[in-house]
Amino acid sequence: MAEFIASGLVNGLAVGSIYALIALGFALLYKSTKILNLAHGELVLFGGYLAIALAHLMPFPLAVLLTLIAAALLGFAVERAIMRPLFGQPVLSVIIVTLALGYIVRGAMVGLWGGDTRQFPTVLPTGVVTIGGLAIQRVGIYSAATALALLVIFWLFFRYSLVGIAMRAAAGEQLTASTLGVSLRRVFAYAWAFAAISAAVGGILLGLWLGVNFALGFVGLKALAAVILGGLDSIPGAILGGFTIGVLETTVGGYIDAHIIYGFKDIVAFVIILLVLVVKPYGLFGTEHIERL
Amino acid sequence: MAVRPAGDFKITYPQDMALLDTAFNRWGFLLLVGALVLAPAWLGNYIFLLTTIGVFAIGATGLALLTGFTGQISLGHAAFMAIGAYASALLTGGWGLPFLLSLPLAGIIAFLFGAAVALPSLRIKGLYLAIATLAFQFLTEYTIIHAAGQGLGAISVRAPRIGPWVMRSEVQFYYVLLAVWLASGIFAANLVRSRIGLALMAVRDRDYAAQVMGINLLYYKALAFGLSAFYAGIAGSLWAHYNRVITIEHFTLVTSIDYVAMIVMGGLTSVWGPHLGAAFVTALSQGLRIIAPLVITVLPAFAKIATPLREIVFGSILIALLIWEPGGLATLLRKLKRYVDLWPFSY
Repeated sequence: MAEFIASGLVNGLAVGSIYALIALGFALLYKSTKILNLAHGELVLFGGYLAIALAHLMPFPLAVLLTLIAAALLGFAVERAIMRPLFGQPVLSVIIVTLALGYIVRGAMVGLWGGDTRQFPTVLPTGVVTIGGLAIQRVGIYSAATALALLVIFWLFFRYSLVGIAMRAAAGEQLTASTLGVSLRRVFAYAWAFAAISAAVGGILLGLWLGVNFALGFVGLKALAAVILGGLDSIPGAILGGFTIGVLETTVGGYIDAHIIYGFKDIVAFVIILLVLVVKPYGLFGTEHIERL
Repeated sequence: MAVRPAGDFKITYPQDMALLDTAFNRWGFLLLVGALVLAPAWLGNYIFLLTTIGVFAIGATGLALLTGFTGQISLGHAAFMAIGAYASALLTGGWGLPFLLSLPLAGIIAFLFGAAVALPSLRIKGLYLAIATLAFQFLTEYTIIHAAGQGLGAISVRAPRIGPWVMRSEVQFYYVLLAVWLASGIFAANLVRSRIGLALMAVRDRDYAAQVMGINLLYYKALAFGLSAFYAGIAGSLWAHYNRVITIEHFTLVTSIDYVAMIVMGGLTSVWGPHLGAAFVTALSQGLRIIAPLVITVLPAFAKIATPLREIVFGSILIALLIWEPGGLATLLRKLKRYVDLWPFSY
């Protein structure tokens, strides 16, 4: 039992770091544009599929770089072509547009490369390491390390770079930032590009670990659970939520899955979503929205 | 309002409230009903198309009441349809209830679930509500799959029996459906002009303002969710008795999104919207099913793209409609009629 919990914790933290990375892009996009991006899972899919296709043609680092550039371009294109004309439209329209966007991206990916599971060419050492009696997959360690490194890099970016500061300003107080010379359009475009990049990295890391098929898109829903748990507009909340979802999924979900009812692991995220929404709708760190007439 | 011929004045309140207020609308509606009644004669084997459209139009009407008229977003409409379908299958199969009793009972059971889902909607709204309904959709799918044991919740359903008649053929079932379809469409059209409908629209436009004016938010939100679930339950029951074998595959998230697509394509705040949308989406799905193999034979290189063609086309149409014509097909049709009426001096 203790071993089960310990290995669940370690593996959960490894998966959770990837969820945190994906949820980070989700939360950032919501924070700066107030768009709930239900196509986020499809952006993850986009990253995974494109990176695999490119990795079979060229060296792996180059493939990753090109994938990230493509993801950023996709983000810019989505903002310019779809979201800008819909600025200020009701919530329903925007939600449906992101759903439709997800349909198109998933359709295009599955259409181009088929629905079967595809594997990356081996770039990372495979196999299992044993640390302190716990069996951990090497790939898990590498992807967790990458995710953590990226989280730090993103933090530095938002802390020190001009673009990052502008984005934080716009997210905090849109109107004030706009009067002080922050271009909201540019911020929205960067937010989309950033969300697409973080999703793509998440797709690549998960793809290295589990292979890529169309089911990768459901990771977007887990990121949604992470973000709801942490509070929709809170970046630290998203990261913490990602880790929590990862750990809960592997420990609690894994336990119930193995001992009580089969398949529970896959819906842990939704149970968490419902519980959080009923008990504390704005999540752990989300700003409570006060409505006035 | 559409253009009306000169001299056609409304001088009494009943005239003003009438659903079919001009001769054009009255004759048009009669013609439409006549065409639907005679449809089996001229559609032949393609009657299944109209049956599908009818079932989904009933479900979509429910979602339009909820989303279009009450402003509550639901991404779990198919879950209520599943509840109605499985309830009806168990009531007729396990308990041996007659179809005429199990159909409304399926609706009522779905109504209760819908009202229960609505209870947290006082605290959570907008985006959060959409996410909650999404989670509800997945949990319902999961529960049904596991309650049924194996095989994706497959269950066989009896053919509907009304009195001594058993509806075995497509045409017989179509007439049963048509009666329910007309009744539910007319009920919805009357509902939205009643006190309840006005209250629902007030909730949509600004819920707290509505509350200040004396509208009980919890009651009307629960009522809206319940009604929409009732419609979905009826549609699910019909769908179950039509297909005779149902699995959870009929009621997945894809169906929920299809419902949303129907009411958005048809027109969110129009009584005709869900019917137009259901017809459009069904026709489009079937059309693509015919076109896809043709594409492959002509251009073998595009073989892979043909499978997800439906998703891509649906997504593109939804985005295009939302950007250029958020009113959907209902508004497009009204604009067309206006253009024809005023031609050639349309200023």
